[in-house]
Amino acid sequence: MSAKSAEEEKREKELYDAIVDGDEELAVEASKALVEEFKRDPRDVLNNVMLPALRYVGELYEKGEYFIADMVISAEAFKKAMNEVILPLFRKNKESSARIVCVFGTVQGDIHDLGKNLAASIFTSEGFEVIDLGTDVPPEKFVEKVKETSAKVVGLSALMTTTMPNQKKVIDYLKESGLRNNVIIIAGGAPITEEWVNEIGADICGNDVFKALREVKALLGLEVLSQTAEEGEKVMVKSVKRGGDKDAAS
Amino acid sequence: MPLPEVSILTKEEKELIHSKALELLGEVGMRIRDPEIVKFLLDAGCKSKDEKRVIFPESLVEESLKTVPKKFTLYNREGEVVANLGEGTRIFAPGSAAIKILDFGAKEPRLPLLYDLKNLVILVDSLKNIEAQSTALVPDDVPNAIKDAVRLYVILKYSNKPIVTGAFTIENLTLMFEMMKAIREDYAEKPWAIFDVTISSPLTWSEITVRNLYDLSREGIPAEIISMPQMSATSPATIAGSLVLHHTEILSGITISQLINPGAPVIYGGSTAILQPNFALPLITAPESILLAWSYREMARYLGVPAHTYLGLSDNKVIDYQAGAQSMYSALAAVVGGFDIISGPGMMENELVQSLEKLVLDNEAAGMVKRVSQGYQMGEEQLAVDIIKKVAELDKHEFLSQKHTRKNIRKEFYFPDQNIWDVSSRDRWDGQDSLHRAHTMVEKILKEYEPHVLPSDKLEKLNSVYEKLWNKISEKPKYV
Repeated sequence: MSAKSAEEEKREKELYDAIVDGDEELAVEASKALVEEFKRDPRDVLNNVMLPALRYVGELYEKGEYFIADMVISAEAFKKAMNEVILPLFRKNKESSARIVCVFGTVQGDIHDLGKNLAASIFTSEGFEVIDLGTDVPPEKFVEKVKETSAKVVGLSALMTTTMPNQKKVIDYLKESGLRNNVIIIAGGAPITEEWVNEIGADICGNDVFKALREVKALLGLEVLSQTAEEGEKVMVKSVKRGGDKDAAS
Repeated sequence: MPLPEVSILTKEEKELIHSKALELLGEVGMRIRDPEIVKFLLDAGCKSKDEKRVIFPESLVEESLKTVPKKFTLYNREGEVVANLGEGTRIFAPGSAAIKILDFGAKEPRLPLLYDLKNLVILVDSLKNIEAQSTALVPDDVPNAIKDAVRLYVILKYSNKPIVTGAFTIENLTLMFEMMKAIREDYAEKPWAIFDVTISSPLTWSEITVRNLYDLSREGIPAEIISMPQMSATSPATIAGSLVLHHTEILSGITISQLINPGAPVIYGGSTAILQPNFALPLITAPESILLAWSYREMARYLGVPAHTYLGLSDNKVIDYQAGAQSMYSALAAVVGGFDIISGPGMMENELVQSLEKLVLDNEAAGMVKRVSQGYQMGEEQLAVDIIKKVAELDKHEFLSQKHTRKNIRKEFYFPDQNIWDVSSRDRWDGQDSLHRAHTMVEKILKEYEPHVLPSDKLEKLNSVYEKLWNKISEKPKYV
C-alpha cells in the first residue's frame, strides 16, 4: 500500500472520531471522501477505521466513561456511514450475493428495538446481510422471510419478560415449517439468560453482541471477514500481557 | 425553580421563638464560668444576676445582630475559595471528635491512634462529596494536654480541604493559630479552619469554650457556636421548648462574639438529640432531633447567619441497614434543611465512634442527597419539547439516540464518586455487599491515593510550631 497523504490520514481520523463522537454527518462525509477521493477499498475503511472506532466505543462503555446513550449515538453514526457509503459499494461490487443472510426482528408485542438495531449494525459491519423486520414482528413473518431469503441466522429480540415467550413461538413456527435446522437462532434482550436460551431451544444468547457474533461465525465455520481488526485485537491483548509481565519482573 | 428546601416555621412563629429567647436572656441569662469574661461582659453593658448569671439586655443582643456577618467565605489551605457560607452551601465534614474507631470486621471499637487519624485525613482528602476535613478522631497515643492541637497538625499536613476543628484547652488555641500562620500569613482574613465552641445546656458556658470563643472572635477566626441540648435531659422534652433554649444559647454566643469584635464571623450550630428514654443515651437520629434541627435552621435564617448541624450519621454500633437508613435520612434532612456545614459522615454510636468504611459509604450518600438539594433547571433546553416532538415524528420509541439525551445525562444525572453502591445487573455484580466493597475501597485509597501533603518549606515552618507544642509537655514530637 502506498504511503498515505496527510489529507487522507486526516480523513481517517475524522471518520474515527465521528463514530466515537456520534457525528452522523461527519461520518458520512469522511467515509465518502476516503472511498471516493482516495479510492480506498470500502472493506478496508470498514475494517481499519470504522470497526476499530466502534470497538473503542465499546471499551469506553466497559470503562464506564460511555453510557448506553453514547453507544447508541455512535452506532447511529456508524450505521449512517455504513448504509449510505459502504454498503452501496459492496452491493455494486456484487459482494452481497455471496453473503450470509440474517433475519433480525423484535418479537410480537414488543416495540423495543435498541438492542436489535445495535446487533443489526454490528452484524452488517461484519459482512452479513441483515434483513431487519423491525419491531412487533409476528412469528409467521420471520418464517416467511427465512424461507424467501434462505437466511442462515435468525435474531429474536425481546426486552420484556412478558414478550420473551414469543421468542419461543417463532422457534415453534420454524420447527413446524421444517426450517429450524437450517438456521442459527439468536435470542437476545435484557432479560434473556443462557437458561432461557436452552429452554426455548435457541442456539445463542444474544446479550453480548460481540460474543454472539463470534459464536455465529464459529457455528458457520466462517472465515473472519474483519481479519485485520481481529489481528489488531490480538496484538493489543499480547502487548497488554507483556506489559504486565514486565511489571512483575521489575 | 427554588431549591428544594424545608421551611417549617411561619414568620410569626420565628418572632415568637426569638422573643421568648430574648425574655430568657433578659431574665435568667447565662451562667459563664470564666470571671474575666464575666467582667468583660458587665463592662460592655450586660448585667449580673445573683452574682452567678450574666443577663443580656435586648438592646445589646439586637445590636450584635446588626454587626454579625450574614455571609463569609471559606477557603482551602492553598487560599482558594471553597464556598460562601450563609448561602446554604451544604458542605459535609466527618463527624468530629470520635473517641473510638471501628475496624472492618470488628465487633468492638478500639481506641484510635495517631496513624488512624492520618489514614482518616488521607481518606477524606480523596472523597469528593466530603468537602471539609474535621478533627474526627481523638488519638489515644497523644498526651491529653496537647491532643487538640496535634489533631489539627495532621490535617494541616495531609490535606488541602477546609477544616472543622476545635480546642479542648484554652492555651493550645493560640498555638493552633500559630500553626495556621506558619502555612499562610492571611489565615484569619482567608480562613480555612472553623472552630467549634460548644455550649453546656442548659444555659451555661464552660470556662474553656467561652475563652475559646473570646480568642476566636478577637482573631476574627470563624467560631461555630454549637448548642447541644438533649431533649428531656438538658432541655425540655418538647421540641418547641428545646428550640427556645437552643436559640437563647446561640444568641448569647453571637452577642459575646460581637461585643468582643464586631463583625467576627460565627456560625449558628447545633447538635440535636433526644435522651433515649429507656437507655439514657443521646439519640441524634431521632425524628424529633431532625425537627429541632430544621427549626433552629429557620432561626439562623431569621437572624441571617450561616448554619451548621450534626446529621448524616448513625447511632448504631454496626454498619447495617439501621446505620444506612439513619445516615441517609438524616443526611437528606440536613441538605433540604439548607445547612452550610453538615458534620456527620463516618460517625456511629451516639457520636462516639468513627469508621473509615462508613466514611466511604457516607460519601456516596452525601453525593446523592446533595444532588437532590440542587433541584433542577426548567429552560427550553430542559423542557425538551422539540425533542419529544422529534422522537414522536420519527416514530422512534426512545430518546437514547438523541444528542440531547447524551448531553443532558451528564448535566442532569448524579454520578457516584466511587461505585460503592451496586446498581449493576446481576451478571456484572461482584458478589459482595456494600460494606465489603467499601473496605476494598478504603484499602485501595490508602495504598494508592496521593494526598495533598504540605510543601516542604511550609512543612518545616509548621513543624517548628509543632515542636513548640510538644516542648510544652517536655516531650519529643511524635511525627506521623
